[in-house]
Amino acid sequence: MRLEADIEVGRGDFRLSCQVAFGRGVHLISGPIGSGKSTMASALASLIGYEGRITKEGIGSATMSLQFPEYHVTAASVRDEVLSWGLDPRDVIGRAGLEGREDTDPFKLSRGQLKRLNLTCMLSLEPDLLLLDEPFSSLDCRVKALICESIEAREGITLVFTHERSVLPRVDTISHIEDGVLEHHGAVPDAIYRWRSPPPYLRRTLDADVLPKNIRLEDCMEALCATRG
Amino acid sequence: MRDPRLRISATILLSAGAFISTPGAILALLWWLLFTPRLKAVPSPRVLLGVVLMITITALVSEVTGGLGLEYLVRMLPILLIAAWAYSDRQESELLDVSVWLMGKRIGFDIGLTAEMGLQSLQLVGNDLAQVRQAMAIKGIPFTVRSVVPVAMNIVVNQLRRTEEAAKLLTVRGYTAGGEINPRFETTGQDIFLTSIALLTFFTSFLAF
Repeated sequence: MRLEADIEVGRGDFRLSCQVAFGRGVHLISGPIGSGKSTMASALASLIGYEGRITKEGIGSATMSLQFPEYHVTAASVRDEVLSWGLDPRDVIGRAGLEGREDTDPFKLSRGQLKRLNLTCMLSLEPDLLLLDEPFSSLDCRVKALICESIEAREGITLVFTHERSVLPRVDTISHIEDGVLEHHGAVPDAIYRWRSPPPYLRRTLDADVLPKNIRLEDCMEALCATRG
Repeated sequence: MRDPRLRISATILLSAGAFISTPGAILALLWWLLFTPRLKAVPSPRVLLGVVLMITITALVSEVTGGLGLEYLVRMLPILLIAAWAYSDRQESELLDVSVWLMGKRIGFDIGLTAEMGLQSLQLVGNDLAQVRQAMAIKGIPFTVRSVVPVAMNIVVNQLRRTEEAAKLLTVRGYTAGGEINPRFETTGQDIFLTSIALLTFFTSFLAF
């Protein structure tokens, strides 16, 4: 299973390019707000036009979670919204933490609840390729951690486009978008050294001359504890 | 045109001229052909094409059923093209500037602010529509006539939420009515010339009526 892209995307005067390959696993694509993460995600999902070539090997199904969950809503109740994804509401609604809200209008949920519902639906689809645009926005830390666990448990290729700085999943590679270019830093843990904007806890760990196994807070704490005995 | 007061005046004069009589509509079309970047000034050619198609169908139905469909089409076409040019040529906050200049810092400010917010919403609706279409493509739902209701519902709900947020923001900032703004305008010789031709078009159309 492999996704290769050598593309250039235009959005008005703004140009964005990337030359990258992703295999099975979780891949983090960071970048500041407005750097083009959503545009790149949409292009890789072939939802918008691009110049160049995207090659998908062994990828039979793909889906993408948009940054704003409201855009995904097409039904008038939580139950029908889950059904619109072709999923069984009995399985999904409980896992989304919405027991007893089956008949609620999705627009009456908070943005965090709606986001969790959408993410739960997409993860339940188990697509070969899953693109997540800012999956942690509007979520509290507990739910972010749950989503991270689900992302880590996936089998296929997962691309996580985010500027999240506190709760992150265990990842296989890191890339960073800035100044119109997606820069691929390679596999973790070596990529951590090359990462231009690590979260503060990771920066402090690196400043202490310690390289954690991965990018999560737990990895940093574990590495620091091992070093200090 | 740099002066929004004259651009808006020219737009009103040309639109009225085109609506009043067929010769006026032809003159307005000529004005559009000669003095604007023409189709390059159309903000969204696909949307304009859709609107033109709708008007053409209405005109044809009217013509077939004994009405003056063709004349309606000839009059509406320049109105649409001039509206598209005026929309693409506008600058941010100029409606607020013109409104305050015309009607003062109380009523003028309120009307100008409402107009600016309306235009901003119009831009956001375009973005909402693109996002909803992407979301439907992700779900594998085709974008057809049947999807009009969920799409419209999505856009309306998003707009209402944004409106509520804007209202809260204005309240938090202490807005009750009116506001302080000192608009400045730059008038060029070309602005005056083009507005004069638009005025001439209006009068010619009025005389031909």
